Order: sequence, then C-alpha cells, then structure tokens
Amino acid sequence: MHIIGETHIPFLSYRKLFVTISSIVVGLGVLWLAAGLLNPAIPGLRFGIDFTGGTQVLAKFRDTPDLDRLRRALTPVSPDAPVIQRFDDAEKNEVLIRVQVPAGEQADLTRPILERLTTEFNADIGRRFDLNTQGSRALTLLLADADPDGVAATGADPNEHYAPMAEAVLDYRKQHGIFRSLDELNDVPELSPAARSAIRERAAVGGFALLGVESVGPAVGADLKKAATLAIALSLLGMLVYVWVRFQLPYGIGAVVALFHDVITTLTALMITQREINLPTVAALLTLVGFSVNDTVVIFDRVRENLRLRRGERLEDIMDLSINQTLSRTIITSGTVLMVVLPLFIFGGEVINTFAFVLLVGLFVGCYSTVFIASPMALWVSRLLAARREKRRARGRR
Amino acid sequence: MDRKIIWRILIILAVVGTAVFALVQKRIPLGLDLSGGIHLVLQVKTDDAIKAELDDAALRLKTLAAEKNLALGEWSADVGTLRFQVGVPAGTDRDALRQLVDDYLPEYSVDAGSDTWAFAFKPNIERNIRDLAVRQALETIRNRVDQFGVSEPVIQRQGIESNRILIQLPGVDDPTRVKEIISHTAFLEWKEVLAGPAPSRDILLTRSGGQVPTDAVVSTEDREDESGTVVGKDYYLLRKSAIVSGRDLRTARRGQGQFGEPVVNFYLVPTGGEKFAEFTAAHIGDPAAIVLDGNVISAPVIRSRIRDEGYIEGNFDIETAEDLALKLRAGALPASISYLEERTVGPSLGRDSIVHGVRAGVVGLILVILFMVIYYKLSGLNAVFALSLNIVILLGAMAYFGATLTLPGIAGAILTIGMAVDANVLIFERIREELAIGKTVRSAIDTGFSRAFGTIVDSNLTTLIAALFLFQFGTGPVKGFAVTLSIGLLASMFTAVFVSRTLYMLLLAGRDRVETLSV
Repeated sequence: MHIIGETHIPFLSYRKLFVTISSIVVGLGVLWLAAGLLNPAIPGLRFGIDFTGGTQVLAKFRDTPDLDRLRRALTPVSPDAPVIQRFDDAEKNEVLIRVQVPAGEQADLTRPILERLTTEFNADIGRRFDLNTQGSRALTLLLADADPDGVAATGADPNEHYAPMAEAVLDYRKQHGIFRSLDELNDVPELSPAARSAIRERAAVGGFALLGVESVGPAVGADLKKAATLAIALSLLGMLVYVWVRFQLPYGIGAVVALFHDVITTLTALMITQREINLPTVAALLTLVGFSVNDTVVIFDRVRENLRLRRGERLEDIMDLSINQTLSRTIITSGTVLMVVLPLFIFGGEVINTFAFVLLVGLFVGCYSTVFIASPMALWVSRLLAARREKRRARGRR
Repeated sequence: MDRKIIWRILIILAVVGTAVFALVQKRIPLGLDLSGGIHLVLQVKTDDAIKAELDDAALRLKTLAAEKNLALGEWSADVGTLRFQVGVPAGTDRDALRQLVDDYLPEYSVDAGSDTWAFAFKPNIERNIRDLAVRQALETIRNRVDQFGVSEPVIQRQGIESNRILIQLPGVDDPTRVKEIISHTAFLEWKEVLAGPAPSRDILLTRSGGQVPTDAVVSTEDREDESGTVVGKDYYLLRKSAIVSGRDLRTARRGQGQFGEPVVNFYLVPTGGEKFAEFTAAHIGDPAAIVLDGNVISAPVIRSRIRDEGYIEGNFDIETAEDLALKLRAGALPASISYLEERTVGPSLGRDSIVHGVRAGVVGLILVILFMVIYYKLSGLNAVFALSLNIVILLGAMAYFGATLTLPGIAGAILTIGMAVDANVLIFERIREELAIGKTVRSAIDTGFSRAFGTIVDSNLTTLIAALFLFQFGTGPVKGFAVTLSIGLLASMFTAVFVSRTLYMLLLAGRDRVETLSV
C-alpha cells in the first residue's frame, strides 16, 4: 500500500512565494510577541503562575459554586482581581482560583485564600471538625481523644487503633475529592459503628475541599522565565552547531531558521488561542525543536547522499529530488506522531492539554518548514557563500 | 541456523530479560503529580542567624568592657548592613579596647572611627554561619518530618552553598498543617516578668518612665474571648535574657491540664533544670512568661519550685498542642524561613491524570499499530514487535534507574511510541525504494538498513540534544519528561535497527532465493 508514489514536485521553484508568506507571518508574530512583552495592555503571551508567580488553588465544592460570590470573597486577598474559572466537567463542581502575588513580595497566598474560603463557605459548620479540609492525623487525634471504642481502658494505644479508620475515611475523600454529606461515612466499612457515630457527632462536612495548590514566588517565576528563554535559545544554537558539524554551515543555518519559524509560529498560535504558558508548555516547545529538526536532517542526509551520486547537477534539482524521495517518509512519520498526539490532545485531560496543543501545532508547522523553509534557506546561503568565494577568487586573479 | 543470528537473538533476550527482571523487581516510582503529595522549595533567611549572633556578641562585648572598666557609649544594631555600632567616648583606652576585641571577638572585623566603632563578621565567618544555619534548618526540618511520620520524604539542600531547601512529601493529606509544622520557628523561652500585663504599651511603661530598660523587652499576648477570636493584646515587660529556652528541653509531650484541657508537658535537661529550680525557688508567687517566637503564650504564676518538669498552657486545642510538642521535640529553626514554591497535588487529581494519560496512550498505540500493519503488512508486524519490545525496555529502564514517572513523562512515553516507529518507517521506505529500482530482496534489506542507519542516528541525536537542554532546564515533572523521551529514543534505535534486522534475518535464513517481501 502506498499513500503517495513517486513524486516530482518542484518544491524549490515555489520558494519565493512560501518564504515571503512565512516571513510576513513570522515578522507579524515577532512584532506581536514584542508588543505583548513590552506593553502589558496588549494581550500577547499569557504566562501562567510558573512564570508570573502567584498562587493557584484547585478547589472542589460541595454544592454548585457561585462564582461571583467566590470572587467577592477572595477580593481582599490580593490587590489584583483573582482569576476564577470552572475546571473540567461542570458537574464536578471544580473551580480553579488564581491570585497574583504582588510584585516584590514573597508572600505565600495559600493561607489567606484558605482562610477566606473557610469564612465564606464553612460558616454553617462553625468550629466543628471539617472532614473536607482536615487530614487523617487530625482525625486520628479526634477519635483517640473521644475513644468511642473504649480501647484506652484495655491498655491498647488509641492512636494505633484509630489511625487505620481515619486513613480509610481520608482514602474515601481522596477517591471522591469531597464528602458531600456525613451519610457518606456509611460507605467507609473500616469504621466501627461507635467511631462512625463519634465522627457524626463531632464533625461536619465543609463547603469545599482543596484538590491541588501551586504557589510560585515572583522571584522564582522570573528565574524560570529566564531559564526557559535560555533553554530554547541554547537548543536552537545546539542544533545550528550540530547540523553545521554533521553537514555544512548553509544547512545549519537553514535548519535553525526553520526552527525559529516553528517556535515563533507556535507561540503565535498560543497568543491567538490565549492559552497559558507554563513549564510543560516550554517542555513541549523544546520537544518540537528536536522533532522538527529531525525531519530536516532526514532531507539533508538525502541531499548529501545524492550530491555524491550525482556530481555536476544543480543543487536546486538535487534538493527537489531529495525532498520528493523522502516525502512519503516525512508524511508517514508526521502521521504516526499525529496518531499519538491527537488522542493526547483529545483524551489527555486538562493538565496536559496545552502541552499536546503545542505539539499538534508544531507538527504541522515543523512539517511545512522542513520542506518550504529549511531547504530554500540552505540553498540561498550556499549560493551566497559560493558567490563570495567566486568574488574573492576573481579579485585574487586580478 | 547462522551463528550470527543466534548471537543476535541472545543479545535481544538478554536486554529484554534484564528489562523484564527490573520491572518485576522494582516498581517505577510515581512523581508527586501522579501519586499526590507536596513539593516545597523554601528559603532559609540566614540574615536572622547573623543578627542573632550579632546581638550575642554585642552583649558579650558590653559585659567584658564593663569588667575592664572601659566606658562605652551608645549601642545600635545596623540591621540593613548586618553590623552593630558602639560609641567610643574620647576618654576610653582605645588600645585596651582593641586588645579586648582581638582576644574575645576574633571573628569580627572592626571599622574603628573617631567616635564610633562598627563591628561586622569577617566574610568567611559570615559564610560559615549562614552555611551552618541552613544545615541546622535542614536537620530540624528532617526531625520534624520524621516525627510527623511521612514515608519516603525527600529533604535536601538545593546546591552546596545555597540557602534553598527542597522538600517532597508523597501522600500527605493535610498540606496546610505540614507546611505550618515545617516553617514555624518554634523558639521557646521562659522569661522573668518585670511588669504587666497591661492593656497598652504606654500604661506598661509608666513605671519605667516611658522607656524600655536596656536589659528588657516588650512582648504581647493575644487576648481571646470565649469563642477563641482574638479581641486584643496584653503587654508585658520581660527581662531580655531567658531563664531557660527550648535548647534546655529534653522532650515535650501533649498532656492534659487540671480541667482536662490540652497542654504541653515539658521535661528539662539536668543543667536547665538547675537553672529553672534556682529561679523558681526565688520567685514563688511571681509570674513567669512562656514566650514562643517573641510572643507570650501564657504567664502563669510560679506556685512552687520547679525542677525539670512542668506544663505549658496556652489556649491549645488537641491538634495545636500535639503540633507544638512535636516542634519542641524536634528543636527550633535557627532562622525563619519562607516558601518560594509550593506544589500540592491531591491524590484524586493525580489519579485523574493517570486515567486520562493512559487512555490517550492506548488510543494512540492502537492507531499506530493498525496503521503500520495495514501500510507495511508483514514488515509492519515486524515494526509492531519492535515497538512492543521498545515499550518493555523503556519501562524496564525506568524501573532499573528509579526514574520517576510524571504526567509529562507519560506524555513523553506516548510521544515515543509515535516517534519510535519513525526509524522503522525510514528503513521500510528505503527498502521499498531499493526494491523499486530492481534490487533483490536480500540486497534491498541490506542497503535499506545500512543507508537508513546513518539517517536514524543523525535524526535521533537532534531530539536527544533537545532533551538534554530540557533536562538541564526542567524541574521535577519536566525532567521526568526529558528522561522518558531520551530512554525511549535510545531504546527505539536498538529495537528498530537491531531487533527488526534480526527478524528479517530469521525470515530469510534457510531460504536460497526470496522473490517477494511483504513491505
């Protein structure tokens, strides 16, 4: 079976058209990028808390959360308005809360957020023990102190007796995220009947539970931003050197220009969709760099081989031939990667979604740039160098 | 059969066997983002430790100068530059003072001005103090976490001279409490009460003429109503030097007070007990303040001579009493700390991530397998076999090296599936080309593999270079991704080139002429 047979597409004869289009796209992308970075009013790259610093809390609510009430409750925490959005399926009652840490401060806002949420959503339970925010150790202490099974009288250690029960209760919460009512204690078979009623007597189910917390100090965020930029720049440089050494300078430049195109275009896609940039996003960008140059190298490899086999032919024709010869491979490999990245994008879940998005965009962009940018650039640079050599030789003769 | 083929099969069996063995022996550790737990980076404010030492030295100098009858002027601590200054009046014997400093404060460099002398640590001494503070903090935090009982905690310094500490606690279900236990300085002191309690600072200081005496400090205690909300503050004037402190504690435990309320029982070491006994015997009927991190938590009246055992009351509930006892047992932090980074992942979130990731991976894997078999037929099966070995080797290598599996790591493994078949695709496409120009099956396979091999190495190396930068840059989860991707690529070079080749050799072995190849 063949997707495409032998092709003779004169790719390089369209090079002016494609290079012009791409230059405009990349140019606009760079302008937008710079404008967004210099002027915060322009919606450019949307950095997540990994880079801006801040506190992000994923909370699950007992009842359908009223986002406006939540917003009002959290306003005193930070001078900037908190970002509040629904997370995952609506019926899960999960809300992502993000608060910016004021610049120059090293404040950890987890505690104030927790306090505000407690005042607002746990008012009805008063000072009762909250099954949704307390841990298993605290529950063990509560049970050991009440000692409903009367184990202290037998000389046994109450802590040891009640710890497995408390852990079972917490395991239930871990699985379901939150206790919606005290009746759910009936679904924890490890509890002795006396312990169950002791908990019912003393504890209550609060209005929310925390599923995850991420807090990054502004200084760390700035450090990470620097490190990410450096890592991407260095990886481009690394590719330039590698391709230069394994092939020749023009190919190195061709590959790195194509990579620059891929990175800028993908960042532009991130700006258009206003997706958030976090550490895994940068990981995806670096992977894209590695993957995209991979395609380019396969073509250059064939060019090198054909140059040996067909001496005297024009470089332009050899490049076209090589691109055509490897075309089915380029498409098939991109296809197999697409087969795994697309499910990752669709089924991978909220956390990994932007990661998959970057790879998805990068896959198409990288495939395009391999054919329409890398080779024309290599051709152009090698002609430029040849012309300069010629000139120098001519001057030497004179 | 050819001896060459037997050797190749033995090598493959050895590699795959090792991988399977590693998988059976060890489990791949799950990262915090999958297993749930907390990841903390905190900074030890080492300036605190320097300031404490400066206070100490200033006090020492003052006492020594008084002993030698050297008159000294005003004292001031220069907090910003970490120095303290002392006025030296015109009549003071400067040589004697210099001698005193050389003899008793050799770790200080002195900036001797005309009327004030400024004292600062010599740079190497200051570095040592900072280093010691971080190491002590590390030790204390380790103690506290051990006492709290977390399994497999990671507590380490980030870099040799760094003042950052990385803490990873898997499976913790009450992050807020753990964070509090770790970061609380918990420096406990018993101090003599000179005046108070008074409702305001001014009233407190009326007897001493509005001034705080040089050997005293003002501390406050929160005043609470019945429901436990803070309604105001009580002011105390305390003697600066403590009677005994947390350092004199042998141990501390949660206990019950007279009315069954939670208290913290404490037990002093013998030397501390003597000091305490001496003081309490002389001050029966007077209050003594129990001060935690500069705040009075209670000021009970001394009813009898206390030797080495007593209790602390202070509006505790069971949990806060238990936690304070734990912190006192583990010791105080030498300096305050602040959190730079926190990542807490609840177990339900982690489990969701695994479910999503695995589902995506399975769908991707099925698609790739179907495509390879339909497109390359029997050769496709060969590639699928190589791919499955690749997955086994990847997982085995991760188990063997104890590489942590993170959520991006799962994505990396999935990506590897898509990229691993690339090597096979390169080879098969090359074989097709060679067959198309009329080569025999045997030579088409030979050229296909040998020509494609260089390309495969070149193209995989570029991805490995990118992964290297990623590893260098990344933290936790991202590092996990880089590791998975790298191992996957290296394994794919082995399976796609070596294993697939061996399968072809087996296919061709024993046959003289092969007319067609299913590719």
